[in-house]
Amino acid sequence: MIDKMMDATRRFALALFAGALAVASPIAAVAQDFSTMDERLTTPGTLTVGTGDPVYTPWMLNNDPAGGEGFENGLVYALAAEMGFAPEQVAWVAQTFDQAIAPGTKPYDFAIQQISVTEPRKQIVSFSQVYFQPDKAVIALPGTTAETATSFADLKDLRWGAVIGTTDNDYLVNILGIEDAAIYNEQVDVFQALQAGQIDVTLAALPTALFMTAVQVPDANIVALLPADENDNGHGLLFEFENPLVPAVDEALGALIEQGVVDDLIATYLVSDPDLPIISE
Amino acid sequence: MTQKAVAAPHRAVQQPARRGPPPPPPKRGFDWRVAAMPAAIGTLSAVVVFGALAWVVTSAEQWPRIKLQFFNLDAMIASFPRVLQGFWVNLQVWLTVLGCILIWALVLAVVRSLRAPWFAPFRLIVVIYIDIFRGVPVLLLVLLFGFGIPALNLPGLPNSGLFWGSVAMVLSYAAYVAEIYRSGIDAVHEGQRAAAKSLGLSEWQTLRYAILPQALRNVVPALMNIVVALQKDVALLSVIGVRDAVREAQIYTATTFNYSSLIVAAALFLLATIPMARLADYLTRRDRQRRLQIAD
Repeated sequence: MIDKMMDATRRFALALFAGALAVASPIAAVAQDFSTMDERLTTPGTLTVGTGDPVYTPWMLNNDPAGGEGFENGLVYALAAEMGFAPEQVAWVAQTFDQAIAPGTKPYDFAIQQISVTEPRKQIVSFSQVYFQPDKAVIALPGTTAETATSFADLKDLRWGAVIGTTDNDYLVNILGIEDAAIYNEQVDVFQALQAGQIDVTLAALPTALFMTAVQVPDANIVALLPADENDNGHGLLFEFENPLVPAVDEALGALIEQGVVDDLIATYLVSDPDLPIISE
Repeated sequence: MTQKAVAAPHRAVQQPARRGPPPPPPKRGFDWRVAAMPAAIGTLSAVVVFGALAWVVTSAEQWPRIKLQFFNLDAMIASFPRVLQGFWVNLQVWLTVLGCILIWALVLAVVRSLRAPWFAPFRLIVVIYIDIFRGVPVLLLVLLFGFGIPALNLPGLPNSGLFWGSVAMVLSYAAYVAEIYRSGIDAVHEGQRAAAKSLGLSEWQTLRYAILPQALRNVVPALMNIVVALQKDVALLSVIGVRDAVREAQIYTATTFNYSSLIVAAALFLLATIPMARLADYLTRRDRQRRLQIAD
């Protein structure tokens, strides 16, 4: 009896699926012909973009994504223009990092939040191509042993702290072989721990680190730069897994990179000329 | 109904009174149908309910994705060593903190139940202490103590987050446990105090030899509840950078976007708390039998 019911349900589901395929195939055929009224957008006629709350300089200035000033929101507005959206057709959705990686439908077309593209993550969500690869910077308070470190071995002896959700901890484990870094929820917690002497040193993407040491924690200094991790491909836009919009957005992003728009944004917001020692072994 | 009531004495009159003990009840043969019926109904109902649940869950359109993200065996195996290592931290913190709580809460409860008038300020202090620490969320205490006190850089005191986070747990949980102790102390009959006093025991001796032994025995089941709750709340220390099981699982999740590590951590917590729940049940039952003199 139950078997029969399940059979019937399955047949029904199959029929539905077949029907859906029949309806979907003409759309699939015009995947490249993206229009701003595309049905696959979260809200047709609007480009809905997820990002952190709050957002930080220099990724987005003044904690105002819609202001358009900053590297990431600058990129989004350039991308929107490339895809045919007017600036006022871009809607922002605030979310935490945990919400960004949670399963299920996402309330936006894509998210931009300095999210690093890695292989394991690609099993769960979809990414655009990489648009930026930051260096890692070592941050410490003056007068600590971190200032005199010149090798990985010196760095390994320090007590490290990092923020969860960043690839900073992966970096510590994979490159420096540090397995016991203290992991905090927020960047501010890391600095609190730094000032309380619970950790000696932390690391962050260079643009973030420059802002932190200039504005958030002026006491702290960037003491060195570290080489990139091959497993960390750099920042990408995050989509719901197998979101059909990926090719269209990727194409626009590729065009922006080719036109040098991304480089311009990097030059405007992320460049600094840090005269810092590089520790590479 | 009235008819039946009338009929009974009537029958008694018809059958003359029998001498000797009443006959034993008729022996019923073992009826396997009667015996198997509840088991069969129980099994059937379990199959139907769990089967329906499983079908609803697995037929969801997103189920394959959820399975990949939450119940991925490879990810579970990959995250297991680190989560287990974190769980070891949980257990160590739990036992240490538990010991401190039981002692500190007893001090609080005893001070609060002292009756001599010159203890009044101390009783007041304990009342205020309990009000404050029971009223503030443990998470806030952990953040304030774990980040705040070490930042003072007080000489001679450790600045480890683990230490101050544990202190916050002890201060908070002791407020609850002190109230449990007090309920046990209050539940001891007033006659016990009178009896102890009549024997010439001082207030302290009354407490030590008459009241506390009875009070503590009474609150063991309630304390078990706190013990289980504490075991889970140790995970709160993760916010100040302690790498416990939950934090290790979160690190894996944040790295790979795969939540299976959280399932591993949940399973470890269950492994520890379920035996404790059964122990609590056992202690409660034994306590009830002892108090109410129920034969086994």
